[in-house]
Amino acid sequence: MTALRLLQRELRDSLRNYWFAVSSGVLVVGGLLLMLFGQPDQAILGYRGFARALAGLMQLALFVVPLLALFPAVSALAGERELGTLDYLLAQPVTRDEVFAGKWTGVGAAVSLAVLAGFGATGLVAVVRGVPPVMVVVLLGFTLLLGVCFVSLGIWISSLLSTRARATSAGLTVWLFFLAMGSLGLAGAFVGWGVPASVLEVWAFVNPVEAYRLASIAVLDPGVSVLGPVGADLLERLGRGPLIALALASLAAWTGIGYWAGRRAFAAPVR
Amino acid sequence: MISIDGLRKSYGEQVVLDGLDLQVDRGERVAVLGLNGAGKTTLLQCLLGLIGFEGSVTVDGQQAGPAGKEARRRIGYVPQRPPVFDMTVSAFLHLFSDLRDAPVEPATERMAEFGLPPDEVGEKQMSALSGGMLQKTLLALALGAEVPVLLLDEPTASLDPSSRREFVRVLEGVDEDRTILFATHRLEDVESLANRVILIHGGGVVFDGTLKDLWERSGVGGELWVQVPASRQEAAVALLRDRGSVRGAAEDGGGGIRVELAPGGAMDALGALRDRGVEVEDFRALSPALDEVMDRLLSARSVGAEKRDTG
Repeated sequence: MTALRLLQRELRDSLRNYWFAVSSGVLVVGGLLLMLFGQPDQAILGYRGFARALAGLMQLALFVVPLLALFPAVSALAGERELGTLDYLLAQPVTRDEVFAGKWTGVGAAVSLAVLAGFGATGLVAVVRGVPPVMVVVLLGFTLLLGVCFVSLGIWISSLLSTRARATSAGLTVWLFFLAMGSLGLAGAFVGWGVPASVLEVWAFVNPVEAYRLASIAVLDPGVSVLGPVGADLLERLGRGPLIALALASLAAWTGIGYWAGRRAFAAPVR
Repeated sequence: MISIDGLRKSYGEQVVLDGLDLQVDRGERVAVLGLNGAGKTTLLQCLLGLIGFEGSVTVDGQQAGPAGKEARRRIGYVPQRPPVFDMTVSAFLHLFSDLRDAPVEPATERMAEFGLPPDEVGEKQMSALSGGMLQKTLLALALGAEVPVLLLDEPTASLDPSSRREFVRVLEGVDEDRTILFATHRLEDVESLANRVILIHGGGVVFDGTLKDLWERSGVGGELWVQVPASRQEAAVALLRDRGSVRGAAEDGGGGIRVELAPGGAMDALGALRDRGVEVEDFRALSPALDEVMDRLLSARSVGAEKRDTG
């Protein structure tokens, strides 16, 4: 009952945030533009037909979904701490674990709804235009996992910081870091700094944004030119199935680590 | 109702509470006094389980602490700065009544008793309420949930005089079987609400008694302002200065005399004027500031401790 009421409150507060409308809108509009005005007969970035449109949507989600998740997640605890409402909430017959779980599930549900709305509209159009529904559903599932992963990371950050501004700055830094250290960053590190390929391959799985990209591309249309050198090497060595499994395991691991570390940090003042 | 044994809380090297013991019975109204940083708020935070601590703390037989959900169920809390949630008053009452597994109706009835009828304020955002209204809303919520213990952390500190009087009036009407523990710096709050006063210093309780006991122990007697006929002012000042109950007396330049008293000296000073045939046209008792009373008491303690050390 307690966790459910806290979840409801967090979900309501998150969905009232204009940020959700904006980022869901970007996903819907961007995705629909890609679907409706894409040119299926041309090859761009190595994709053809529906796979190209879905890959475009995936690239869009790769930028938007982490932000969509991070903004409400980093505010979840730090914002309440700053307003002085957190102590009042914790002075009620609730446990810190319940409050943390309520925040996580509430923000996670809100982010998932926004992804479903944004991705769902585009997915419907894609299915109507001949894309296999299973491919849309799989990509949607990966994107939901990416969102939940960044909710965990965001709430972890939120549990460590005392103001919304600091937590937002930290969240943006994390987002930029993971984006920058994606496929281009990996190639740069390989060429510029001579980082060993084995390190880069591990990093490709450690970075949740890159893991999402690898898993999605491997499902859509694995091609050397879009996987990047590190991804192509991994595909060759591991095969398609294990690559997808490892990438998803990375997202799941970050989700778990973020939740565990955040819960631990949130409990720290009372230890 | 509240039982605290050997409560110890430190932040790094800084020990705030050091083996504090306190027993509070049902229905007691306890004012928690102390200088800034003495540990008043820390004590309340320990009772609420907002921070971890060493020692044993129970509320109505339930172990308090971070995991003390059942202890918190028995506590209503009103902080110094009321929290402003991003929701309507009605949503706030519903949410927090639900968290207590309590019906919302008693809280809304209390709201109406406090002059905040739900049909008028229910749909207002909490941010639209004044500090006093917010404090009363929190109190209505706590009383509606039938909690046996109220913890108030300087509840009137951020209120204007009118709101403060109103809030104290509401608290004065709280059922007698509820236990109230409140931290404060305001003498008026102590006079109006407390039947017991504790003073925290050096991590423990250094005084436990009534407000009258506190004054007497501190040696602070207060002040009296007296108005006598202008022709008798000089004589009245001289007369008062000779009294053992008077520490000092001087004309205030506005037609009155300010008299600094020893504890319990007011009636003696007024009686002396009457006996000498000096007509008292008007008088007012000026209460000493609570901070001054605490300062004097703590200074006396430290002098006593020094004497014991050197003796």
